[in-house]
Amino acid sequence: MRNPYGWAALTVFSLGFFLFIYAPLFVIIGYSFNSNPVNMMIWEHFTFDWYTGLFGLSDRETGVGNRAAYVESTDQMLAALRTSLTVAVFTTTISTVIGTATAIALARFKFRLRGFYNGFLMLPMMMPDIVLGIGLLIFFVTVGMNLSMLTIIIGHCTFLTSYVFIIVQARIAGLDPALEEASADLGASEWVTLRKVLLPQLAPGIMGGALLAFVISMDDLVITYFVSGTGDTTLPIFIFGMIRRGVKPEINAIATLIILASVVIAALGLWLRSRKTD
Amino acid sequence: MAPLLEIRDARRTFLTPEGGRLAALDGVSLSVEANEFVTLLGPSGCGKTTLLRAISGFEALDSGTMVLDGADLSALPPFRRPVNTVFQSYALFGHMTVARNVGYALEVAGVAKSQREVQVAEVLEKVGLAGLGARRPGQLSGGQRQRVALARSIIAKPRLLLLDEPLSALDRNLRQQMQLELKSLQHALGIAFIFVTHDQEEALTMSDWIVVMRAGKIEQIGTPREIYRQPKNRFVAEFIGETNLFPVTVDRVEGGDALARTADGVELRLPVLGRKAGEQVTAILRPADFTLGPTGIPGRVSRAVYLGSDLYLFVQPQAGGPEIRVIARDNQDAREGSAVHLSHDPARVHVLEAG
Repeated sequence: MRNPYGWAALTVFSLGFFLFIYAPLFVIIGYSFNSNPVNMMIWEHFTFDWYTGLFGLSDRETGVGNRAAYVESTDQMLAALRTSLTVAVFTTTISTVIGTATAIALARFKFRLRGFYNGFLMLPMMMPDIVLGIGLLIFFVTVGMNLSMLTIIIGHCTFLTSYVFIIVQARIAGLDPALEEASADLGASEWVTLRKVLLPQLAPGIMGGALLAFVISMDDLVITYFVSGTGDTTLPIFIFGMIRRGVKPEINAIATLIILASVVIAALGLWLRSRKTD
Repeated sequence: MAPLLEIRDARRTFLTPEGGRLAALDGVSLSVEANEFVTLLGPSGCGKTTLLRAISGFEALDSGTMVLDGADLSALPPFRRPVNTVFQSYALFGHMTVARNVGYALEVAGVAKSQREVQVAEVLEKVGLAGLGARRPGQLSGGQRQRVALARSIIAKPRLLLLDEPLSALDRNLRQQMQLELKSLQHALGIAFIFVTHDQEEALTMSDWIVVMRAGKIEQIGTPREIYRQPKNRFVAEFIGETNLFPVTVDRVEGGDALARTADGVELRLPVLGRKAGEQVTAILRPADFTLGPTGIPGRVSRAVYLGSDLYLFVQPQAGGPEIRVIARDNQDAREGSAVHLSHDPARVHVLEAG
């Protein structure tokens, strides 16, 4: 039995909820096509200028700041993007390998303190970013490491390994242990079983974890802020710096592009995770 | 000739979560000859699956020996043991095609692809799945998956095939069909089967030998007929099929029969061999051993269940005591409340010494 009022209230609530989540994103996307350089809240007309301007293809003045700064910031932005991508690729690779290996070890081998390790691996995920960031910074300074891209990668790996671990662990928990037994029963050594049965069965989880790690690494600001050197600006730090000097229309364009990339990657990740293998 | 598989005094104890000890295998000895169909039968927790997993190598023994074909098994990891298993969950590899699943043992053994394909096609044919090699396990029905699991486990021609309740997930008709197919396949392949089940009907249908287990011990080993007609004790009698148990005192030996009486006064006639007046024994009669007739134990039908060609009756003896279960032909006029007489052939009565 459906109560029509209750049903209507639920519908309104759901719509309101989605509006609450997505409105800011749509506002940014909308503003990124507004040609008004002074006040982005007043619609002038549709333009691609802020996108072309990002890549140094437009000579349009925004009126805020000076032109020279923009030309420079195009190169800076691309450099920051490159730094972010490099960090994300290395971080994803390292944390996926370690996270997957750990998940397999904890699920398939019995050893002392197993439960302790399990809980301990969750901790970096729950720790406030700012604490982790400060901790890493103090650690790097203590051991005498110069802040560089390497320290960013190490910093990201410390908590992204946990993310990959948790996702792969969920996958392995749903896996019938008899699959590996069947493989062994049919004559496959442990290595062959790992390669031919376990890893292919875990592949959707591993891919999902890797994509998540990639997205979070690309997105991270707080921890990166503490452990990056002056020469290694990632994209989030670059945007953060830009916004401190005032919100320029280009920021909306960058944000829109990042939203687009995130949606693509996240959709890919969800699809891989949900894909049935049997 | 030495048996194919010889297990001596196998023991395995598990720690329960409460900190207790549970003897899953409590001194089990068993030998299996080549080309035999042996069924391990027992209620859940009796140790039958532990025994199977010990043979396949997924469970270690605390003590005892296992020798297969003259070679000590206990030193070998599962992947080096010349036995294959059909798992209860089938454990098919969902990311591989049916053909690759079936050919997996050959693939990991390094058999060339062309040769593999020939053998896979052959085995698929044997289990009635010809032409389905390109499918994924997820696209098959339960019965077909069962056949894939079977094909995959026999392709490497093991000396011994272990089957862990493989039919439990199938519906009744399919299960009965598979029972007969498994038996004829076992004959055709010449592989010894060790089949684990808790379903006594399945065990009776397929086995050369039935091993009845309880609480980590073997209660009885025998042919299906021996297990059914001459159970060694109450547990076996009650676990295998429907049973009427009568604790009786022998009254007197009269002609060819021994007359015996339950405490309530139900009179039975037992085989005379070895019976002495005054001794207490348990008489076992299967429901089909009774016939409705003009003479015999007087009683009243308290419930009648229609089974198709047969009638399943619960008869309350006039003298009192528990109801007697009787299977009668449907053509007999017995309905709830009607008065009947149950007669039986003394030769069909199995006697357990000491009630």
